[in-house]
Parts: sequence; structure tokens; C-alpha cells
Amino acid sequence: MFRGLLRSPGFILGVGLFALTLVAALLLPLLMPLNVEQRVGLAYTPPSREHWLGTDHLGIDMWSLLVHGLRSSLYVGLLAGTVATLVGTLIGVYGGYKGGLLDDILTVATNLFLVIPTLIVLILLSSSLDEGRSLTLIALLIGLTTWTWSARAVRAQSSSLRHRDHVALARINGYGTFHIVVLHILPYLASYIFMVFILQTASGILTEASISMLGLGPYDSVSLGTILNEAIRNEALGDGAWWAFLPATMLVTVIAFSLYIVNTAMESVFNPRLR
Amino acid sequence: MTTGSQEQPGAVVLAPEARSSRLLDSHPVLAHILGRAGWYLITFMVAVTINFVLPRLGDSSPVDVIMARAGANLDAATAREQEATYLKEFGLVQLDQQGDIRRDAAGKPVPTSLPVQFARYLMLSAQGDLGTSILQYPRRVSEIIAGALPWTLALQLPTIVFGWLVGNTLGALAAYFRGVFDRVIYPAALLTSAIPAFCLGILLVYVFGIQLEWLPAVGGYDEGILPSFSYAFLASASHYYLLPFVSIFVIIVGHQAIGMRSMCIYELGTDYVRYAKLLGMQERKIVRYMFRNAMLPQLTGLALALGGMVGGALVAEMIFSYPGLGMAILTAIQGNDYPVITGCTLLVTVCVLCANFGVDLLIGLLDPRVRSGRAASR
Amino acid sequence: MSTTPILDVADLRVHYRTRAGTKVQAVDGVSFQLAAGEVLGIAGESGCGKTTLVSACMGLYMPPLFYGSGSVRINGESILGLDREQHRKHVLGRKIAIIPQGALNSLNPTRKVRDLAADMIYSHGDRSGKAEIEERLRERFTRIGLDARHVLDAYPVELPAGTKQRVVIGVSTLLNPQVVVADEPTSALDVSTQKSVIRLLFDLMDRQIISSMLFITHELPLLRHVSSSIAVMYAGEFVEHGRTEQVIFDGRHPYTRALMGSMLSADPGQRGKKPVGIDGAPPDLKHEIRGCRFAERCPVARPDCSGAEQPLRTVAGRAVRCSYATAEPGVAAEPQMDAEPQMEAQP
Repeated sequence: MFRGLLRSPGFILGVGLFALTLVAALLLPLLMPLNVEQRVGLAYTPPSREHWLGTDHLGIDMWSLLVHGLRSSLYVGLLAGTVATLVGTLIGVYGGYKGGLLDDILTVATNLFLVIPTLIVLILLSSSLDEGRSLTLIALLIGLTTWTWSARAVRAQSSSLRHRDHVALARINGYGTFHIVVLHILPYLASYIFMVFILQTASGILTEASISMLGLGPYDSVSLGTILNEAIRNEALGDGAWWAFLPATMLVTVIAFSLYIVNTAMESVFNPRLR
Repeated sequence: MTTGSQEQPGAVVLAPEARSSRLLDSHPVLAHILGRAGWYLITFMVAVTINFVLPRLGDSSPVDVIMARAGANLDAATAREQEATYLKEFGLVQLDQQGDIRRDAAGKPVPTSLPVQFARYLMLSAQGDLGTSILQYPRRVSEIIAGALPWTLALQLPTIVFGWLVGNTLGALAAYFRGVFDRVIYPAALLTSAIPAFCLGILLVYVFGIQLEWLPAVGGYDEGILPSFSYAFLASASHYYLLPFVSIFVIIVGHQAIGMRSMCIYELGTDYVRYAKLLGMQERKIVRYMFRNAMLPQLTGLALALGGMVGGALVAEMIFSYPGLGMAILTAIQGNDYPVITGCTLLVTVCVLCANFGVDLLIGLLDPRVRSGRAASR
Repeated sequence: MSTTPILDVADLRVHYRTRAGTKVQAVDGVSFQLAAGEVLGIAGESGCGKTTLVSACMGLYMPPLFYGSGSVRINGESILGLDREQHRKHVLGRKIAIIPQGALNSLNPTRKVRDLAADMIYSHGDRSGKAEIEERLRERFTRIGLDARHVLDAYPVELPAGTKQRVVIGVSTLLNPQVVVADEPTSALDVSTQKSVIRLLFDLMDRQIISSMLFITHELPLLRHVSSSIAVMYAGEFVEHGRTEQVIFDGRHPYTRALMGSMLSADPGQRGKKPVGIDGAPPDLKHEIRGCRFAERCPVARPDCSGAEQPLRTVAGRAVRCSYATAEPGVAAEPQMDAEPQMEAQP
């Protein structure tokens, strides 16, 4: 199965791109000086040899902003993705396995959250938390509002596994729920959960970017979304200061794109008919 | 829905049907509708509560904000009077029998409690009164929404509907004919559906609006023209319409194409398609079978997209400075204008819930598979 | 006698090519004829080529399988090599129809039974009006024992399994095909429903709605009850072909006897006998096999079985593909006295 993945061009491309951005985010700050607080030039100066991406509306080096933004966005995306996957998987697996009343309650709760538009909730939450918006908080918020999709997906899988023989056997032998879920159900869901995680991360990055673009982003950090927000607010778009928004846009696109491609590749490997 | 728990073999579980009323038993459709309606009502109440409570978690009072802006140059007496007017208007203080503000021993106004505010909010909202904007005082929220909503609808509705039609057709073609079709459509759709909407928007604005200057980059219409149904206005508006339209359209097409393609591939592999072919059925009948069966989940998607269209273009509108609901919310957020925020988000939530409810009902009534699933479980 | 057989298959060969380019014969020179009123039961292990054979008898286009040589004629007319549209319109459903395996999932869940049946009729060029079609459907569905008014209006998912099976039979035979292929038509049904479905099939034959049948099943009693003749298939060939009683009770090919012995039977005479599995597995047809294809697993094989070609010979009134099939009743072939019978298949 893994060999199939490694042979899929989409998978390689996606993983490669994403790894590239991760490596850039982790290594670049160590390799070069980055300063996001010091004014190094006039507002919106074009790229030059010293400042590869020029400056923003405050005269701060755009390249530094971009790298910092990349780190923040990746951090939020991964954290939000992890939280959403964890919560969703927990609820989904537990409900799907147990069935009955517990499942019904969890399903109702899930559907409740599913139907209420998450972006709206995030907007409302963020706008009420004027001062306290940190990267971590935002990531947690996103994670805690977008888990519904994974809960539904995982629950469907788990509920069909419930009827498998080895599970019934374990139950008859008196093993507790926790034991059964961890040893008998999760291993079968592992690849599925991984795919879910990838999608949740992609979604987390995009949601953070959207929220930040709307002006509800982290208060004290730079993220790709806040870069875009500043650009739009200060009319970089109209002025043609492409260095202020294009690189950030491309980065968000590349990250989301790479994750989606990986997911699609995994999907078609696990379900060959779709190829 | 899940069947009852069967954890204890041998135990007899009393079927819930045995306890329900005769009326509902003989009218499963009615029971279904009532059931879903009840559930959605609960969801609605939760959503409205969230909608009300969240923005008010912060500390700032809207009156303080207004006063800070407008009352700086007023003398103390006028300032007090203004403040009193605002406080009454926003329903933040308790009133005595003459309609004056009730004050406590220290002379400060007695605030109304949150539950009371909530009740007032519910009552007024039900009548369509969503309050007054802080930022654009004294414009009413409903007025602001009414001015912005048509723009959003005009952009979203055709985009979603056409995007859906085109996307599904392409997906079906790719799945049925495979070959060249598939090799072109599938990767293209993959590409366009993986690009985030606002990224495409920004790219389009930059390339076509700024660099090439083929199309206007920002706004809904030329600055000199006033909104009306005149030809000049409509021509100008459509000019500005194109880029936002394309940015959303392309992504919807990609997304739908991929979904429809998967559904059709699945349907083409089913036993009933195989049997139809063995019977010697005409190809176009088989295509129709495939289409119809793959379509049902796609219709769900359409209804949900339409439901979400009011709130779905937020970021796109922001990029293009398109004067729709998205811009309204954005401006409100930036100015901490929480009545407007609450009003807009309430509207979006109501639309989404209605759409979901409608879809739920329709699918339950139209799809024979779901209908009988319900009948079978009784 | 010189009546044209309804179905005439002559030396039919169907093959596919592996990625390496090897030609694999899925059906390797099968011939038989079916007269009106005859039911040919086809028995054999999974993978022996039964389904491919009947698909080929229908003339189906089924890549990556291709027709090599041979002919299939129904009422004297060849059904192979036709233009696809011609084949669809005039052969499928009209001359030969299939009642598929897994019939219970074969009905489009979002189409009413009436509409599905009407689609079938219209697809074959009939341009009758709705009222006429309705009349026809009602008459036919009532004839096959269904409550026409209720069933025609229903969606498949609303019908019980037995009714669905009847509907499938009804739709498949709507245009009165001469030959019907029944591929495990009763496998998902309980015993009493099975009986009524088989009775229905016979009834249709009696009424001349269908003329002859190819019947595939794994169940011995059913095979015996339904077939007028039986062909035992192994590795793409017929190894025995004769009348029902001959093949079942007095098989002359070692494989036939092994197969009959491995099938469970509730018959009083057979009940006590333990079913005996056949060791080993069918040969991999990718590699060329010299001589008898069953030799590796045959309990009475001799050294030269793997050397010489094994043609079909007539022994005791039926066709057998075994050089050592004897004319003695009750004896398939005699084991060699002075050598160990080969019991194990070669690894």
C-alpha cells in the first residue's frame, strides 16, 4: 500500500511542497537575520538586493515578515488540525463504536455544530476577544469549531468496524471499551485518520488566513493572513505593491494545494476505482 | 439512524414504535417533518443564543464607543443627555415608569441584565428590528443589510447555480467517457478546487486588474454613477462583476466536477448498471440512470451552497471591495460595530439553517432509498 | 432429427493477454447445443470459466477478454461479430437474456419497476404507447405470479427478496428470449422461495415464453432438479457432458466424481456421506499445460496423462475428456496398480 503511495506523482509532489515550506519555516530564521520590528526603509519600497521583498506599509522588511508569517500560519494550521482531528476522532470513534443512545447524543451534538456556520462562530468569538488573541488561542478556537467534519467521517468508519469479528471476539473476552478502541479499531482507521488530519490542517491554515484577513487575526503576531489584511487595508493592491501580498498569497496557495493533492493521492490509492 | 443498542444478547429491547402514537405511525411523512423541524428549532435557538452572547463577552459598551468618538467636544450636560439617549436606545439600562433612566445610589444607571437584554433582542429581531449601528449611527442595521444584501445575492446566486451546473456536467462527462476527457478535466478540476478562493481572487485582481488593467480591480461600480436600474449603471456594474464572478465560479466548477466524477464512477460500477447493460438498454437511458442517482447528493450540495451564499463570499468581497454583505461585516468588525456584526451573522445563520432544513426535508421525501430506509426501520 | 438447435456453440475460444503478452485461454474450445425445452446445467469450481463462457454465449463485449475463434448461433443466426448497436438491440434481451447473480441489487433503486420494464421495451425499438405497454406489463407480471398493480408501482427497495427475484426474471424475459442464462439465480434466497422461483422458470419454459436455459449453480440438488443435461467445466474446457443422471450418479471423469462428492446433498442416499474436498487448486492457465489439465490433482492420474492431448471421447453415452475413462459403470478410471496415486498437487 505504501509503495502505491510512493509511486503516485501527486503524493510525492504534495509531500515535497509541504516539506519544503516546513523546512523553510524552521531553518530560515536560523540561517539569516530576520527583523519584524525595525523600520528599514520607506513604506512600500520595491524589492532590492538587501530587501528581497521590499518593505511593507510601515517600512519593515517584507521578507522577514513573510518568514515569520509562514511559521505562524503553519503553527496554527498544524495545531488546529491536531486539535480538530483529536476531538473529532475521539467523538467519532467512541460514538460509532458504542452505538445506541450515546451515539445518538453525540451525533445530535455533532450535527448541531456542523450546521452552525463555523466562520460565523469564529468571527463572533474573535471579535469579542479584542486583546487576548494569540496564535495558540486562535488555533485552539479553530480546532474546537471545525472538528465536526472529522467526527462524522470517523464515526461512519468506526460504526462499520464495530460489527467485525475480531471486535466481537474482544468484547466477548471481556475487554473494556478503551482497550478495544485502541487495539482493535484505531489501527484499521489509522490511514483514514491521517487523511482526515491532512484535510483538517489544510482547513485550519485557510481558516486562519481568512480570519486574519478579516482583521480578526492574532494581535501580537504576524501570520500570512495578517500580512494580507495589512496589504488590503493599506491599499497595496491598488498601488501595485505586489511584494506586499503576492508572496503571502502564493504561500497560502502552495500549502493548501500541496495538502489537498496529498489527500487526493491517498484517496485514489486507497480507492483504486477513482483513478 | 442507528438501531437500538444490542449490547446484551437475550435482553428484549422494547421497540420505540410501540410507545409512539397511532397518528404518527400512520403518517410517517408527517412524523419525519415534525421531527426534523423540532430538531432545527433547537439548533436555531442555540445558534441565536451563541450569536447574541459571544459579541457581548467583551467589556466595551457600545455607548462608550460612540461617546468616545462623538462626545469629545460636548459639555458635560449635553454629553449626559446624549449618553442617556444612546443608553435607552441600545436597551442597556433599566427604565422607570416615566421612561427615565433608573439610577442607583451613586447616580450611575442601573444596567439591564443579560437575560433581559436577550429577551429584548429576540423580540425585536423577530419583528425585523436588528438595532442601530454604532459605527454609522444612526443608520439602522436592517437598513445597512438591506443595502448590501442584493449585491451579495447578485454575485453569489448566478455563480453558484452556473458553477454547479457546469461543474457537474464536466464531472459526469469525465466519468462516463473517460479517455481524453478525463485526462484533461480531472487534473484541471483538481487544481482549481485546491486553490483557496481568496488566493484566486487576489491573483485575478493583480493580473487582470492591476497589471493588465483589463478589468476594474475594486468596487462594485464606477464612482460617478448612482445605483439604479439604468443601463449605464448595469453596464458598469457588470464590468466590475466579472472578476469576482470568475474567482468564485472557477473554484465551484472544479469542486463540483470532482465530486460528480466520483459519484458517477461509483454509479457506473454498480450492479444495476451492469444489469441494465446486460439487458440491452440504450446507452442514453443508462446515462440517465447514472446521472439521476449521482445527482441526489450533488443537489444536497447545491442547496447547502445556496444556503451558505449569504455568508460565503466574505473574503472574496473583501478583496474586491465589492459592496456586499461581506464588506458590511468587514467594516463592522474593524469598527467594533457589534449590532451590525450580530445582525449579519444572524442572517447568515438563519439562511444556512433554512437551507439545511429544506434539504433534509426534500431528501427525506424525494429519495426512495431514504424513504424506505425509514419505513424499514419501523 | 434435423431441427435446428436453439443455441449452437461450436469450438468457442475466448482469451485475454497478460501484461507480459501471454495468451490465456479462459474458454478453450467449448461446443454444445441446446434444443428447445432443454436446460443445460454448468458445474465447476470458481474460476473454471463458467461465467466467461455464458457471457461469451451472449456475445458480450467484455474487454480485456476477446473472442479468438468459434461460433455461437441462436436459431441458426450467429450472434458474434455484430455491430455493437445491432448486438444490443437485437441479441441482448431478445434472443438471449441473463438473470444475473446478485439479482437483488440489480434493480435501479430510484426507478419504479414499471419504468424500468418500460425502458427495457423501448430500448429494443418498440414504439408502443404507454397504455399498451402498461397492459403488457400487467399481463406478464400477473402471469409470473406477482400482484402487478402493486409491484409495478413500487420502488425496488420496497419489495421483499423473493418478489425482487421474480421481478428480475420478469424483466429479463420480457421480450421472450429464446435462451435464458441463469447465473446462481437462487443463491440469496431461502429454500421455499428457491423452489417457487425454479417453478416459475419451468413455467415460463412450459408456456414457451423462453425456450431453453443455461443454468449455473453450486448446489448439487438444484443442479440435478433443474438440468436435463449437465456439463462439468474445468480450466476452460468441458471435461464431461451428458444427461443429468449420467453425470451426477455415474460420472466417468475423475474430476466429475470428485466434484459430485464434494457437493453437499440432502438426498437420503447421499446424506451420510462426508463431502470430500479436492486437494490443490485449478492450474494457472498463464503457463502452457501439456496434456490433461486435471492430472496434477487427479487421484488416478498416470504418468502419460500429462503428455498426450486429451480430446473429448464418447464413453457410455456421454462425452468425457479422459483417456482412461472406462466403459464400466461406476468406475471413472482405474488407478494404476503398481504406482502411488498422485494425491498432492505439485507446489
